[in-house]
Amino acid sequence: MTAEGGVQYSKIAEIKGPLVIVDDVENAAFDELVEVETKDGERRLGKVLEVGNGKAIVQVFEGTTGLSIAGTNAKFVGKVMEMPVSREVLGRVFDGLGRPKDGLPDPIADKFIDINGEPMNPEQREYPKDFIQTGVSVIDGMITLVRGQKLPIFSGSGMSHNLLAAQIARQASVIGTQDDFAVVFAAIGVQYSEAEYFRRSLEESGALKRSVLFLNTADDPAIERIITPRVALTVAEYLAFELGMHVLVILTDMTNYAEALREISAAREEVPGRKGYPGYLYTDLSTIYERAGKLNGKKGSVTQVPILSMPSDDITHPIPDLTGYITEGQIVLGRDLFRQGVYPPVNILMSLSRLMKDGIGEGSTRADHGEISNQVYDAYSRAQEVRALAGIVGKAGLTEIDLKYMDVGDVFENEFLTQATDENRTIEETLGILWKIVSKLPKNEITKIKDKYVEQYYKEE
Amino acid sequence: MANSALETTISKILEQTEKSVISNVESALNESLKTLDDSVPKLEQEYDKIIADGKKEADKIEKQIIGSADIEARNKQLIALEDAVSKVFSKALDQIANTDRSGDYSNLIKTMIEEATKILGTSEISVSTNAKDKDVVQSTLSQFSGAEMSSETIDCLGGVVVKSKDGAMRFDNTIDARIERLKPLIRKEIASKFGVGE
Repeated sequence: MTAEGGVQYSKIAEIKGPLVIVDDVENAAFDELVEVETKDGERRLGKVLEVGNGKAIVQVFEGTTGLSIAGTNAKFVGKVMEMPVSREVLGRVFDGLGRPKDGLPDPIADKFIDINGEPMNPEQREYPKDFIQTGVSVIDGMITLVRGQKLPIFSGSGMSHNLLAAQIARQASVIGTQDDFAVVFAAIGVQYSEAEYFRRSLEESGALKRSVLFLNTADDPAIERIITPRVALTVAEYLAFELGMHVLVILTDMTNYAEALREISAAREEVPGRKGYPGYLYTDLSTIYERAGKLNGKKGSVTQVPILSMPSDDITHPIPDLTGYITEGQIVLGRDLFRQGVYPPVNILMSLSRLMKDGIGEGSTRADHGEISNQVYDAYSRAQEVRALAGIVGKAGLTEIDLKYMDVGDVFENEFLTQATDENRTIEETLGILWKIVSKLPKNEITKIKDKYVEQYYKEE
Repeated sequence: MANSALETTISKILEQTEKSVISNVESALNESLKTLDDSVPKLEQEYDKIIADGKKEADKIEKQIIGSADIEARNKQLIALEDAVSKVFSKALDQIANTDRSGDYSNLIKTMIEEATKILGTSEISVSTNAKDKDVVQSTLSQFSGAEMSSETIDCLGGVVVKSKDGAMRFDNTIDARIERLKPLIRKEIASKFGVGE
């Protein structure tokens, strides 16, 4: 840090939405941090979006409400926005801009890191292949999360994604290694009660000491949401690649992030893309999602679980659609299951973890994991078909084997999928339930599992 | 004769009944033994599950207690450290405020004005300072053509605030502002003296 920068300009040409346009600016830089001072001496942070022709367009994170052209000053700080990082950030609660929210002083920084991060050299990326146990059966058993993966949860408004997010944050662990594990939790535009739930939930479970929380609540300025995932990922990268920890980053709700992006885009009068989101939504989302992974020669990893609520449960909406192109699979929550009172209401038929095959099996989870998972997937899919058929011809019209598949569907939903919010199942327990489901079927229906595993685990009922 | 036949019949019936009762008792005994045998593995399973659940619960509670205690201890340490850092800061600021304004101080002021004019990109400037530094600044300004002393004084530890004459640009190069800019680094330095963040 030097004494460079720090010039304060007082010629404000225009205030438009979340943007302030400053006149007669020289030497400002793209993305430079700006301190906007109001007439009353209040300071707000912002960043330079555009410079040229003696003007600078500044995006004010904390909103422009109460700013006036006369009396407002903009100080160009001479550096980009940085997040102070050190091991001391663990166990702390910050706001959406990375300022302490827990009443404690600023952490003593080991480093100050540009929140935009450094792009990972693709050549240096290491293929993710180590299992993360979330303690949630449906994820561990059927949509396994792997260290370094980016696996989003597609939800809908009002569904239990936040409960699931908090449960994953509390329970997630790496097994078979002594490496440190940390959770970075970024709440983006959530309700105050939800933010409090996250904080209390981690505090009461004792998981807070290995977690860092960034809370941007719904009443915080929308523009701040642009920064929240970036400060969270900056901390995650530091913990992973400087301190060698395995870091799970949970970002909820990315829909609120995309909406903040749309607000800025509209204020800049950019040509809107689908549903009014900017045309660069895909590129922008990738600058967040691609900050997950493992690097050759580095011990730690950054795993991302972004959560997004699909407007009107529409999976073709631009946010889930574009997210799906970047991430490595998706966990989809189903409205029907939610209405039935199933928690977590994961619709496995629409969900997929693309890296699962590399993170399971002998040496990671158990040798039969892949095959039992495929068999249950197949059986549940058949159970859904049988249920549809029963809806037309009635149960009486079903064959004996059809009825067994219906039973499989019920056991799957009631015993495997359904789990208490504080129930932390080991992978052994999860696989045990999967075998219980398969054991409802006669042996000749088991076509995806090797005989030796059937001999070992199948228990006919 | 009739009595004897009756007795024989009764004794036969008694014998048969006894046999049947004994056989019933035996089969009931066998059945209950079988049930008992069958329930042993189930009971063992149940027992193991209760023990495993209990262990899980105990681990959970242990984690909660240790986690909260760690956090509480760390928070107290942070507050104590911050208190110490604040004390060091306020002492240092007192010393700076009472620094002798003779000698090298005028060179510092000169450097500060040079820095400000370079950053503002103009030599047409108006300079403000506090009452204590007014004389030093005034004498230094003679080395800067186009610079003038502002009539207003500012409240600061030392140093200058430099404005372009049209008032559009302002650069705060007071000691206070410089400390503010470098505060995170200074805090780190001070904390390292207490053995934190090394």
